Amino acid sequence: MQELLGRIARLDPSASLGLRVIACFDELVVGHVNTRGLLAAAASLAGCPAGFRRISEAACVRVGPKGDLLDGPAPEVPAALRLTTADGLEVWLERDGEPAANDGITLERLSLAVRARHGLVRRDDIRRHAAIMLDRQSSAEERVAAAEALGLTVQGEYRIAAAPLFAQWQQHPGGPEDVIPTRHGPMHVVVLPADHDTVVASPCGLGTVTPVDRLHESFRVAVVALRLCSPPEEPLVDAHAYGGLLTMLANAPEDSHQPDVERMAEVATRPWGLSTVAALLATQSIREAARHAGVHHSTLQSRADVVSSTLGFDPLDGLGRARLGIAFLSHRLRHSTVLELPPPSS
Amino acid sequence: MPDTWRSGYGSSVTAAPRPEFDAELKAGLAVVGGMFPPTITPALLDFMRTSYASAPIDDLLAQRRIERLDLPVPGHLGDEIVVSVLRPAGLTGPRPGVVYAHSGGMMFGDRFSGIDLVLDWVDSLGVVLVTVEYRLAPEHPDPYPREDVYAALEWVASHHTDLQIRLDRLLVAGASAGGGLAAGIALQARDRGGPRLCGQVLDYPMLDDRGLTHSTHQFDGVGVWDRVSNETGWDALLGPARGGAGVSPYAAPARAEDLTGLPPAFIDVGAAEIFRDEAMAYADRIWRAGGDAELHVFGGAFHGCDLFAPHTAVGRRMIHVRNSWVEKILAD
Repeated sequence: MQELLGRIARLDPSASLGLRVIACFDELVVGHVNTRGLLAAAASLAGCPAGFRRISEAACVRVGPKGDLLDGPAPEVPAALRLTTADGLEVWLERDGEPAANDGITLERLSLAVRARHGLVRRDDIRRHAAIMLDRQSSAEERVAAAEALGLTVQGEYRIAAAPLFAQWQQHPGGPEDVIPTRHGPMHVVVLPADHDTVVASPCGLGTVTPVDRLHESFRVAVVALRLCSPPEEPLVDAHAYGGLLTMLANAPEDSHQPDVERMAEVATRPWGLSTVAALLATQSIREAARHAGVHHSTLQSRADVVSSTLGFDPLDGLGRARLGIAFLSHRLRHSTVLELPPPSS
Repeated sequence: MPDTWRSGYGSSVTAAPRPEFDAELKAGLAVVGGMFPPTITPALLDFMRTSYASAPIDDLLAQRRIERLDLPVPGHLGDEIVVSVLRPAGLTGPRPGVVYAHSGGMMFGDRFSGIDLVLDWVDSLGVVLVTVEYRLAPEHPDPYPREDVYAALEWVASHHTDLQIRLDRLLVAGASAGGGLAAGIALQARDRGGPRLCGQVLDYPMLDDRGLTHSTHQFDGVGVWDRVSNETGWDALLGPARGGAGVSPYAAPARAEDLTGLPPAFIDVGAAEIFRDEAMAYADRIWRAGGDAELHVFGGAFHGCDLFAPHTAVGRRMIHVRNSWVEKILAD
């Protein structure tokens, strides 16, 4: 993995490798990985052996970058490559020469994971502030306490930016940030003040502005916004562009029966299906839609007729427009691939 | 139209349940997210050819004290192709041999792709490894890739004295697309009266162009090789014939009706990859035919995870199990 970290750094010098190291150990702790596995991950990240012992004992466990167990006692290791916990555990990296950029965060995360594995700290107790603050299961008091711990003003208004770890950031406004586990995988979150600077990142979703005790809602909306991104045409989605629509989508149960969405999936089976719907939504008339889509007026008309008959309602008439828009967004959300690992820019 | 507006792919709420990836592998994916797309379409071919290119091999070989000799051999239709003969430095005398077909979905990679794991056989068992630069699809569709590898096999056998390879301990091996090629040439060798093989190592092999198995549909958009990638690869190899009646069992070994008389097979595959069912079925049919096969299905493992994360418990286990089988067959 060290070679891969190096490659990521070369391809994208702005990539936050520290967050990736944090996400790595989060997964290992959640996954109940044993000490050897924790050491193997650290060794693989660092490209050198990693070791562990209880300071009350001489015996130690040492693991190489290939996950192999190493014999022999722990070598002398400089203080910068060693971390001793208050509860009597020690971890280290056996690197010749200067510590590498991510050794500090690797050791810190390794020590925490090892402590959790040895029952010295409960997994629940090592949840970080951002995870607590953005969890709808947390109580309001817990969320506010976490927000304060992150340095947020309790009376302030903020919003969450959500992005996968592989997102590319050109403009990264300051704010507390972390990586938190979600069912879509580890998610990079940044807490932005309501009057934040422009965010330029791809892909990235910006949630609604809320008071600090409702940032968990902003986060859910940010994830919906993120999943609606379509880089490179639409690399970032701001929930405010959709009023309350993304909040509605965020709150809709995923398995709810949505006949319009199912028919939209049928529309999507045509190569021109979704682009026709997009053109209809972006314009006021068939003629404008045809210009938008770059096709002849009669072509767009006949495609719109097919869309209409597939959907079973007139998408240009009254509430039909709203149904079209919501079905379109819901379909894109259901079939979003933006969180799948994309190829990096070569 | 934006690429992400596809229908039917990706994390649909109606997607089939699938086994989760092992936690250590998930941690690895969190680190390197962004390097490898799980869904490879024809448009990504150039990108994959660049990014899948193997790391410089000579440093690795020097570290492991393995000598390399590149030789031209006649491939399909007599066209010249290259093989590399890898041998432990200073080791003389006739040694067991392996003819190796690399991974890369039939479309990318080179003869050193993914070779790190099989170099274990060279330096710990004293095996001579002949890795073949077979021609790639779509520029060279079926039968070029498999006939190139088969021609290399025949060449190794007919030059075994010069190469100092023991004809009585010769096996074929390959991973992913290379595993499919290895299975195919084991069938060809049987049917054409070719060199007698003492084994076939099929690592998470690509055996079936028909794409009908349950596991084929369980992993859309996750891991490193999904159903769409597989269709892309088989399309490149077979063109419009893919999935139809006229596909040769040598190109898609899952279609072979007769699995008797084959060399002992080692088959490994992940529980969390599209090739799970076709690998299991191939082993099962070898056993029904009374043959010798060993099958290992690794829980939580995605396609090629031992190459991706050899430091993990599941990666180490896959490597160890494979190496111990090869040791059984080939070691002195």
